[in-house]
Amino acid sequence: MAKVFLNGQPVEHAHEVHEHISPMSTYNAVIGALFVLTGLTFAVSFADLGPASLTVAMLVAFIKASLVVAYFMHLKYDDKYHLFVFLGTIIFVGIFFGFTMFDMKSRDALNDEQETFVRWKEQENAGKGLAVGVDNVPERRAKVLAEIEAHGGGHGGGHGGGEHKAEAKAEHKAAAH
Amino acid sequence: MSTAVQSHDPHPAVEPSYLVSKRGLMSWLVTVDHKRLGLMYLASVMFFFLIAGILAIALRTELFTPDQDFMSAQTYNQVFTLHGAIMVFLFIIPSVPAALGNFLLPLMLGAKDVAFPRLNLLSFYVYSVAAVFLIVAILTSGLDTGWTFYTPYSTSTGTAVITATTGVFIAGFSSILTGLNFVVTVHKMRAPGMNWNRMPLFVWAIYSTAVIQVLATPVLAITLLLLIIERSLGIGIFDPAMGGDPVLFQHFFWFYSHPAVYIMILPGFGIISEIITVHSRKHIFGYKAIALSSVAIAVISFVVWGHHLFVSGQSELAGVLFSFLTFAVGVPTAIKVFSWVATLYKGSIQYNTACWYGMAFLWTFTVGGLTGLPLSTLAIDVHLHDTYFVVAHFHYVMVGGTVVAFIGGLHHWWPKMTGKMFNETAGKIGCLLVFIGFNVTFMTQFFLGHQGMPRRYYAYLPEYQTMHQVSTIGSWILAAGLLWTLIYLLHSLFKGEKAPSNPWGGVTLEWATQSPPIEHNFHETPHVHGSPYDFPEIDKSAGGHH
Amino acid sequence: MSNEHAHAPAHDDDEHNPHLAHHFDTMGQQTASAKLGMWLFLATEILMFSGLFLAYFILRMLYPEMVLEAHEHLSKWAGGINTVVLLTSSYTMALGVRSIQLGDVKKLRLMLVLTILCGCIFMVVKYFEYSAKFEHGMLPGKYYSAHLHGYEIDGLPHIFFGVYFMMTGLHGIHVAIGLAIMLWMFVRAGRGEFGAKNYVAIENTGLYWHLVDLIWIFLFPLLYLVK
Repeated sequence: MAKVFLNGQPVEHAHEVHEHISPMSTYNAVIGALFVLTGLTFAVSFADLGPASLTVAMLVAFIKASLVVAYFMHLKYDDKYHLFVFLGTIIFVGIFFGFTMFDMKSRDALNDEQETFVRWKEQENAGKGLAVGVDNVPERRAKVLAEIEAHGGGHGGGHGGGEHKAEAKAEHKAAAH
Repeated sequence: MSTAVQSHDPHPAVEPSYLVSKRGLMSWLVTVDHKRLGLMYLASVMFFFLIAGILAIALRTELFTPDQDFMSAQTYNQVFTLHGAIMVFLFIIPSVPAALGNFLLPLMLGAKDVAFPRLNLLSFYVYSVAAVFLIVAILTSGLDTGWTFYTPYSTSTGTAVITATTGVFIAGFSSILTGLNFVVTVHKMRAPGMNWNRMPLFVWAIYSTAVIQVLATPVLAITLLLLIIERSLGIGIFDPAMGGDPVLFQHFFWFYSHPAVYIMILPGFGIISEIITVHSRKHIFGYKAIALSSVAIAVISFVVWGHHLFVSGQSELAGVLFSFLTFAVGVPTAIKVFSWVATLYKGSIQYNTACWYGMAFLWTFTVGGLTGLPLSTLAIDVHLHDTYFVVAHFHYVMVGGTVVAFIGGLHHWWPKMTGKMFNETAGKIGCLLVFIGFNVTFMTQFFLGHQGMPRRYYAYLPEYQTMHQVSTIGSWILAAGLLWTLIYLLHSLFKGEKAPSNPWGGVTLEWATQSPPIEHNFHETPHVHGSPYDFPEIDKSAGGHH
Repeated sequence: MSNEHAHAPAHDDDEHNPHLAHHFDTMGQQTASAKLGMWLFLATEILMFSGLFLAYFILRMLYPEMVLEAHEHLSKWAGGINTVVLLTSSYTMALGVRSIQLGDVKKLRLMLVLTILCGCIFMVVKYFEYSAKFEHGMLPGKYYSAHLHGYEIDGLPHIFFGVYFMMTGLHGIHVAIGLAIMLWMFVRAGRGEFGAKNYVAIENTGLYWHLVDLIWIFLFPLLYLVK
């Protein structure tokens, strides 16, 4: 074969394997860093960092992961397209997480709206009139009002929060045993 | 290796085609030849198309009168679930990529095979195992969740959800392996001179599809795994009674299944690009635009899944965002449709069967695409959600789009795959029946849905009866057209004329080899020097040039 | 075929290399294809695990107090030891790939043995961890019965342990598969199938094993450490 093609393009030195071979010192340094970081994240977990602990732990994990990917998996020296595949995957994971979390987080606003509705009902009862209109369908509004009435006006009608679910679970368990 | 010696045969003209180069059942069962695997996939998907099609006709027949005829509510639920699940997972998703894609991708790239031929064979058997699981599910206690397996119903119903979802889970792996194989094939197996700007548009479409298959299907796998665990161990992540969130399941499911819609339609776009340009004998209009719009659709498809959750309790804010993003899909899709129409303009169109299907696609897909806009509009969707409008919309895209493109592609490449010509008149009659039957069936459903007929009901109010009957009659015409097509295609296998290597005058590489191709595709590795759509002078008769 | 052409010049032996499959033109093309295929496979693995990680984050969001309380019952030390073990195995695996790059089959086999050993230690620690959880009734979903064993965790801990078992279980299955693959590679290396110019199978095994390690790097702090 006179001329060799790869990816549809002629290749100059197709028969030469030119893989990057890292020196031992690189591997030793990387594993050392990984152990130090593991120790760090382990030690930090005993300190009470509160909400920052997730950020710190994830940051350390990202550094560790980057070290493994770059040096153990040779991505630093590899075909750049492999890096593209890897980073692209991370982006798609980000899309998956981002939109789902966005919906889960912003669903609280929906619950707030129901709370507003409840508060409006309370205000109306106190003779202060209609403050906020949430539901424009009269029949449906009447139904929700009836439900609120039935629950003593305090809660209900709204989306079950964590505690409601816990109660449901407790009932569920009681029924099971 | 005797085959290796064969490919160095100094007399290529007498070399046997891939169909007869090796003989015996075993030579088919353990083949790693992408063309044979393509045919095996073709036979399998056609089998499941037939099964699910019979179920569809049964559904439409039940709906002929408003009352219960021969199916109970429970039976009806099972039949529409099986119709959906088989059509989606065993027919449409593997149809174009695994059957036509397998056959054509290496040929179009000028390669001897796909990058991983043994993986390709494995993928076929994985698909077969998946099919067995689904069939077992049908034969044991059926499945009545709808093809979407929504929780909490799927975690509480008494039917064979675990068997069926295991089948789908396995089918997913087949899809992943095929996609992975194709991505590597496109990257590494292109013939000398074939750079990205010289790849046929079908290859671009299959490539985009394969990217989605690789990126989305793993999420389906984990979703179904969670569902199976939820059902067997009750971990409670999706079940509200256990403290979980059923909407979360829908997020998980549609993160795969919306992109999967594009796994189904993108290869259809690729087929239409080939058919339109070859049969109008004119360079494709907007090559780069069509190629890159495939990639754009693949990417955008990942950020629109929330439009399936507009009425599921998703937050309004997320709904608005997803509604907006969904409109964005219209842009690359419209670019494609306009480019196809512009390609036809002033072309010297050969009105043969494949071209008829191409034109049918332009109509049906455009209707399907445009009716997606009202559905992606948040406020209107509240009215139309879960009505026959949705049913009509996705059948216009899936059947009017993918299936019409698939059948068109089958006619376009039938001479290449089988070495036989089919009867053109019979083909046109079939196309006409399919086109009329399809539109009668599903156009009426837009009106039904708009008037409020909900989907998945086995009985309905008498007001809807006339349109349901029109729709049912349409479905019979459609079925007749498809059966007619099956018959004359099978007939051509035995009685058809021998096909020339290039019956339509195409310029892509698959037409440069004999019909049907030899086992290693080309006598010598082809070198590519220009665009796949530079047609020579029209008056040179088709088939006479290489 | 390779015997016939044994006299061919060394730089041109690709065409007749016994490791070259019929449909590839060069070893370079074959190696590049295998590696790209592996990276795409890793992409699918990452996306599959991402579903479980998302489930974990959603669980944290819905029931923050319960998750914090339940995760105190996981053994930080077992998790920590396993982290060190798995990192070490990644190191030995990387050295194995380096050995075969230099053509040292003997050292490659040694490194594979060490990696397999680490993988086995990981599984043993996991076994003790799991059996402790089983004993305490900290089981997933409807089998959860820790309250009958005197462990009161407020809220819905059965979901936490469901997610815990899903994540570590799927990861454990990947470790087991990795061990099987490395054993196979060990046998193949013994048969002399690998050399300085033909080691993509070892490299891909390494990539897979590092991914298993990567997933643990995130699993460990999330499940065992984070408050």
